[in-house]
Amino acid sequence: MSALTAPGFPEEAVRRRARDGAGAAFPSRSDYGTTLFGAGAGAGVSAAGVTAETDLIDESRLTPPVFMPLRLEKLIDLGREPLHTDVDLRTRIGGFASALPLYLSAFGSTRVASTDLGLAASRQAGRLGIPMVIGENIVLMNGYRSGGGSSGASGGALGHGLLDRILAYAEAAENVAGDEAVGGVVVQQSTDDADAEVWNLVYSDPRVQPLLRSGRLGFELKVGQGAKPGLGGMTVLGAQAAAGASAQYAIEPVFGADAGQFLRSGSPGTFTAEILSRQIQLMRNNFPRARIWVKLFPGRDIAAAATAAWRAGADSVAVDGSEGGTGWAPTAFLEQVGIPLGECLLDLQSAEARRPGASLLVSGRVWEGSRVVKCLALGANAAGLGRAALIAVDEDPVAGLARLVESIEFEMRLLISALGKYRLTDLDPQDIRLPRALRAAAEAPAEALSAYLAGLSA
Amino acid sequence: MQQSTLPLPVFPDMTFDPLPPAPREHLASPITRAALRIQNALLTGARDFLAAEGFVELLAPVIGPVTDPGARGAKQVDVDYYGHRYKLMTSSILYKQAALTAFDKIFCIAPNVRLEPPETASTGRHLAEFHQLDVEIAGGTRADAMSVAERLVVHAVAWVERTLPGELAVLGRDTDAFAGLPGGPFGQVSHTEAVATLIGLGHPQNPDGEIDWPGERILSDKADRPFFITDYPKGSRGFYDREDPLRPGVLNNFDLILPGGYGEISSGSERESNYARIIARIRETGENPAKYGWYLDLVRAGIPTSAGFGIGVERLTRYVAGLDAVWQAVAFPKLPGLVSP
Repeated sequence: MSALTAPGFPEEAVRRRARDGAGAAFPSRSDYGTTLFGAGAGAGVSAAGVTAETDLIDESRLTPPVFMPLRLEKLIDLGREPLHTDVDLRTRIGGFASALPLYLSAFGSTRVASTDLGLAASRQAGRLGIPMVIGENIVLMNGYRSGGGSSGASGGALGHGLLDRILAYAEAAENVAGDEAVGGVVVQQSTDDADAEVWNLVYSDPRVQPLLRSGRLGFELKVGQGAKPGLGGMTVLGAQAAAGASAQYAIEPVFGADAGQFLRSGSPGTFTAEILSRQIQLMRNNFPRARIWVKLFPGRDIAAAATAAWRAGADSVAVDGSEGGTGWAPTAFLEQVGIPLGECLLDLQSAEARRPGASLLVSGRVWEGSRVVKCLALGANAAGLGRAALIAVDEDPVAGLARLVESIEFEMRLLISALGKYRLTDLDPQDIRLPRALRAAAEAPAEALSAYLAGLSA
Repeated sequence: MQQSTLPLPVFPDMTFDPLPPAPREHLASPITRAALRIQNALLTGARDFLAAEGFVELLAPVIGPVTDPGARGAKQVDVDYYGHRYKLMTSSILYKQAALTAFDKIFCIAPNVRLEPPETASTGRHLAEFHQLDVEIAGGTRADAMSVAERLVVHAVAWVERTLPGELAVLGRDTDAFAGLPGGPFGQVSHTEAVATLIGLGHPQNPDGEIDWPGERILSDKADRPFFITDYPKGSRGFYDREDPLRPGVLNNFDLILPGGYGEISSGSERESNYARIIARIRETGENPAKYGWYLDLVRAGIPTSAGFGIGVERLTRYVAGLDAVWQAVAFPKLPGLVSP
């Protein structure tokens, strides 16, 4: 290295690339397996030095009115002044009854989620009575069940199989008191998983029948994810696991020939409106007793894609904002690709009305109550916990997630009651004050959005 | 401890009505013996008919790198083939299309294995292991395939009536049930009409999907002759059923439904043979087309247009023999979710 310097230029980032080649397109590999990626994960590496620490949702305010006709309604109903404890947070999420407008979004096959944390999260979600999504590629990488015949490319070494997580949830959910079966398990399948027939495997497994019988099994078609819109799943594998996975995935030595580690890329899958609609119809046809969910990445045609999915009969459409993600992703995607969740929700204001009972779910940097309530005010039915859930079970595998959810639940009750509302279905865009440039959003979202974006770049 | 030879449910609270007995008892039963003789005669009659029509019988492969993905909700069975993951055939469709590069008219009596969801064990019509009488006609249209299916069933049933009156009597089968068979072409209703009929009868039916099993039963109970349901919607069937070029979203296919509650015994269609359309259709089932490599290479090089169908041999036997459940038409029955020899 010479004494050459370049003030004002991202010199260190360039030097890293000069040393590491394609491997430098990712966050530091030494963090893999212990770091949850997603927006902000690449901070400090970006050429532009951009961090996505705040977004439209953060910049918006929840705005209680002084006059509250719905509080009067509740007052009459109760015969006493209502309190925040009177807010009813029970709801339906994608065909399941849920104790709260929250669900666990998929962690994928990333190493972080494959360890005991995945199992701990399953148990706590079951106990909480909130739905849980289990990510793609788990059967191919971790197998169907630990120590079972189908042990996946990693020989089961990476952790617990799909069935273990399903049964951990089901067992914990059995002990939840109440009249109605709450919660549900949703199993993702990607294009690569289709080869392993993950859904058929689960649907025909006798041990899963109690969930099916109580209407608590769902399948989620994964179209994409917020952290890397337009790409399939990515993980880093050691040499042995990479060799095992080479028949199914692209395996590239992007970290250098001697690194002993490889990038594993799944195929993203090809979609058109016709392909998406028919896949959903086929899922409904083949698995009539399962709920059908679709997970979309925050694409520029998100409203059209969500409309197509609902029209084809999806019970829920989950939109993962560009700030979402737990897994491994290239820095450029973490920082520069996809639409942040708040803007997705504005785009979706123009989406054709959903079927009655069909849900809009959102995820992306959700970890406290105000973000959830803002999303609900903008039309979402529930919010997904990803990174926050994994951190919480890492903090305390027995009750960390339960306590995190307890804190969010408490905040939601406070916030919603402050808005003078006691039912989730009463929340609407009037409850939220968008940044000044976007106040006209309800009337003309597209125009307001371009004005807002123009303001940002000015 | 001696292992039980009785079939055992893999899940304790599963219901089977009735449960198949142990093999010795089952094979010794006069009902089983009469049913299997009837099946034998049905196959003889079918071969007689198809030979006269110029069909060549092929022996179908049992394993291959891929198989038919079109079975609703059923799991395929993996086989380790010298380190490669192969499948037991769920149907012969891919090989049927391929075989037309050798002969214009082919048929096979092919074993299929589908690990159906355990809930199908009590429909009386599902087996995990069964056989199809598979027919494929190069250059054929859907109407050609329907005509062959219809005449084949009439011929085979007549063969049984003529050759095995004693067995039908042992089973107490009322042969008046077959009186309507030879009376000209079977009736046809479209999928849309069938859905409307069911909804009109108060049965909820998904208009985008297969007719569900209770719905099929209702339609079958109402009928006094076999009939076809045609024009299933795309998204309810495998990629090989051809989409009607003039009616997007509608498939040029059919099911053959028997009367008296016996229900569907056959699915067939005009086949897709265009490479690009097959790739797009495979994507519509959510799969990566790469796994169909050998088949796609063949299609890219060119395969004949065709039409064909498969008739469930055990289901046809059940109908002719008038049996309560389809497993009674099998020497060694395997019901979904039942561990059996």
